[in-house]
Parts: sequence; C-alpha cells; structure tokens
Amino acid sequence: MLEWLTTDPLNGIIITITFFISIIIGKYLRMKRTANKGKLIEPRIKILFVFLLIISITLMGHWYLPILICVICILISLRSNTFADYSRKLIFPVILSFFIILIQGLTYGINKINYWVITLYYEGLDFGFLIFARVIAAASLMILLLSDTSENEIIETMRWYRVPGTMIDISSLMSRYAKSFLKEARKIKLAQESRCGFSKRSGFREKMYDVASITGALIMRAQMRAEIVYKAMLSRGWKHDQGSLAGPLKRKDLLMGFVFSMGIIILLGIDRVL
Amino acid sequence: MHISDGILEPEWIFLWYAISIFFIGLGLRIINKRIKNEPVYLPRLSLIGAVVLVISVLHIPVPVTGSSSHPVGTPMASIIIGPFATVVISAIALFFQAFVAHGGLTTIGANTFSMGIAGTFGGYFIYRLLKNISPLWFSAGMAGLAGSILTYLVTALQLALSLNPGHVMYYWKLYSLGFIPTQLPLAFAEFAFTAYVIKYISGTKGMENISSGRPIDRFTITALLLMVSIILIITIAAYAGYLGGSNMDGIDSKVEAMAAPGASPAGIGNKLMAHIGEPLGFALIGITGGLFTGYFWIELRRKS
Repeated sequence: MLEWLTTDPLNGIIITITFFISIIIGKYLRMKRTANKGKLIEPRIKILFVFLLIISITLMGHWYLPILICVICILISLRSNTFADYSRKLIFPVILSFFIILIQGLTYGINKINYWVITLYYEGLDFGFLIFARVIAAASLMILLLSDTSENEIIETMRWYRVPGTMIDISSLMSRYAKSFLKEARKIKLAQESRCGFSKRSGFREKMYDVASITGALIMRAQMRAEIVYKAMLSRGWKHDQGSLAGPLKRKDLLMGFVFSMGIIILLGIDRVL
Repeated sequence: MHISDGILEPEWIFLWYAISIFFIGLGLRIINKRIKNEPVYLPRLSLIGAVVLVISVLHIPVPVTGSSSHPVGTPMASIIIGPFATVVISAIALFFQAFVAHGGLTTIGANTFSMGIAGTFGGYFIYRLLKNISPLWFSAGMAGLAGSILTYLVTALQLALSLNPGHVMYYWKLYSLGFIPTQLPLAFAEFAFTAYVIKYISGTKGMENISSGRPIDRFTITALLLMVSIILIITIAAYAGYLGGSNMDGIDSKVEAMAAPGASPAGIGNKLMAHIGEPLGFALIGITGGLFTGYFWIELRRKS
C-alpha cells in the first residue's frame, strides 16, 4: 500500500522542494509588488523582454505557444482590470490577421479541402493561422506593455539603450505636440462648425478644404508657440541631446532579465521540439 | 499600410531594418547639422512629426492584404522639412503607433521603408519634378497622391516577398488590388489635403523653402485629367474583371488575330517585344507617340 512512498523517492522530493520554494518566492514577489505599488519589473528590463519575446514569436513555427502567450496576456489584463481597453485595442490586429487566414486559406497550397461551395487549401490555412497567432500574441504584448508603462518611461529607456539623443528629443516633443495638436484641432473644428463650416451639404472639395485649412492653421499656430516655448526651455538651461538620468541596473533587475532571457530561449526550444 | 508584428519572416525584418537604419542615420546627420545653426528647427521638425503621427494613425482595415489603409502624410512633411528628416520622423511616428497595436516593433524597419522612404522620396521627387512647370498646389497634391500610392505598392511587395516567396508577382498583384478599394479614394483625399495644406502655409514665416511654382496651362490640365481618368477606368475595369474571375492574361492574342491575321511571328515587332519585354516596349511606344503628338500639337490643331 505504501509502495508509492517506499520505492522511488526522487519525484516526491522534487515536487516537495519545488512546491515549497515556489511558495516562498510567491510570497516574496507579492510583498515586493505591494511595496513597489505594482512596478515589479524595471521598465528597461520589461521593454527589452517584450522586444525579445516579440522577435522570438516571429521565429516560432507552431501556433500553440503564441496562442498560449495571448491567453496569458488576457489573464493578466483581466487581473489588472484593463481587459476592456486591451480588447478594444486588439480588435484591429484580430481583423487584420483574420484576413490573412482567409486569403492564405483561399489561395496558397496544394491539398484542397472542399467545404460546401468554397475550396480551401490546407497549407494556406495552417500558415494563415500561424500568422494570426503571431500577430495577436505580439499585439497583446505591446498593448499590455503600454498599459503598464508610461511614455516617459519608454523614452527614458530608449535614452538608456543609447538611441541617438536627437531621436529621443524629437520623440518626446512629438508625443507632447501630438496630444495638444488633437486637442487644438477639436477646438478649431468646433469654432469652424459654429461659423457654418463642415456643413453636411458641402461636397468632397469643400470638406477637404475645411480639414486642410484647420491643419494648416494649426501647423502655423503651433509652430509659433513651439518655437517660443523651445527658446524659453533653452534659456532655462535645457540641453539638447542630454544623457540618460537613469542609474545602473540593480542586481535583482539583472537577475530578472537573465531569467526572462532564459525563459524566451526555453520557449523557442519547446517550439523547435514540437 | 502598417504591417503588424508576426507577419514578416526574420530575414525580411532584418533587411528592412538595415535599409531604414541607413536612411535614418543620414537623416539624423542632416538634422544635427541644421540644429547647430538653427536650434528652433528641432521643435518645427517635431511638430511636423506630430502631424504625420496623427494623420497616419487614422486607419481602415484592408480585406485581402492583412494590412490597413490610411493617409501617409510623409509627402507633405518632405515638402516642408525635407525628405531625409521625414524618414526620421516617420520612424518615430511608427514607433509610437506600435504601442497602440498599429504596426509593430519588429516591423518598424519595413514600415519605415514603405511610408518613410518610398512614400517620402517618391512624393518629393514628383513635387520637385512638377514644381517649376505647375502651380504649387498641384505639384504638392501630386506628391501626396504619388507618395500614397507608392507606399501601398511597396507594402504589397513587402507582404508578397515575406509571405509568399514562391509566387511574389502573383501575390504582389493580389495585395495591390486588395488595397485599391480603400487606398485609391484615400490617395485622392491625400492629393486634396496636401495641396490645400501646402497652399495654406506657403509664404508664411519659416516656410520660405516652399516656392510658389508656375501657373498651369489648359493643355497640361486637359492632358493630366485625361491621363488620370483613363487610368481610373482601366484600374476599375481590371478590378471588376478580377472579381469576376478573369484570368488577367489580357487579350493580346485575340487582338493580334483580328488586327493582323497574316503577320509573321518572326517579325521585327514580335522579336523586339520578346527581347526588351512588354512593359518596356509599351513604355517606348507611349513615349514616342506622346512626344510626337505633343511636339506637333499646335500644327495639327491648325490644320484640322
């Protein structure tokens, strides 16, 4: 009766050790997360990890792992109450990748599958579904990354990774201008509408003229303001192409980066074995 | 236009990245030189970048291709800030758009090549070509139109090269045709948009590099309108034929049989076409015929 206990101890020992160590690590991670208010992973490590994982997804030859990554992303978004935003942003990649399945299934391959009046190709469907899985997995990762990382953190990380300073400066100015550009565009559009612009009766030419005049006016107005603000920034000591303000990575962040890298290599290994 | 992550194969990801990085490097060199002499160039550049970012994020999914259609904005940007600087700002715009699941991180190289390099330089070339023989609004509009269409043709080629390497030409045609229903109206919208915007902002402070151009004559307007109309009719008819299940082989043999039933297959015309290829052959015929008609147009009109 106690044969399971008395014969081979190896499996029992392994499961006991892994279970209890995992309990300790789990508790430690939870405590750390509570202390860091949700910032468990350093943004620099997180962005590198996502980038490497997306590259590894494009290298995967089977759809199982990308779909698994997507499912994990869904669970994380549910857990962090961002599922509504996540699913809204995912609609577009899903539609695009669905078209890929359709066109590849209808045109690419040798072995035919006759389904009612439609003839599909097995190879095309298989390839199309692989692309579908890759696209939604990669898009899921990007959406989750942005939901947890601010634009400033991303830009600062790029600076730390030695992306040319001019590109960083243009990026940070661009992201600010884009927001105020949209805000101002709405204001001007409203003002134009109140002065009988954007009439429903106007044709394509008039509508295009309205949109273009708003854009032109915005560019000119924004350019004047941007130049004044930029001169003010320069006069207050702001320097173009300044170095990264982020310090060196901590040992635990490096360790986490190493663990993530190993995880990606293992995932690729599993994909090759399948 | 933006290709998502996971669609392109790794070798194509690296190739498009390598080409785009080269152009971005050149663009950064030019920008840095200009910033040294004129510091306010940086906010101006960023502002145009923000315009490109906002314009190109308004996308429509495209059936068949697995990509999207949207105005590109890069031809307009290239007229205002120059083509190399436009490459840099389009790469940054694509980077930001990747975070809203529009495009992707691994495909920034490919998307920069189609939108930031092909669309920009194609549009800018057309602008420079037409600038001195037509009004400013027309040359800017044509730059928008050409840049937009070129961007989509390159995207279709990128998709065909990566997804269907064995049948590139067939899938290039298929993906290009897939873009037509959404992209052709958008390209015309981009013509009007670019033309109006450039006309609006030309001559104002800081925009002195945009010249006023020359007025366009009636003959050129008629010729261009005829050209665009005929191309539209051919494109729509071909697309309708494609949807109707046509094999898209053309009617060369029928025309030859009816027009010249006794013609020798070893004749000089056939030999020449076989040697240089049909597209180049037809281009030569078009150029010769067009030059001849244009040159003697006034005399022909007088005689008639």
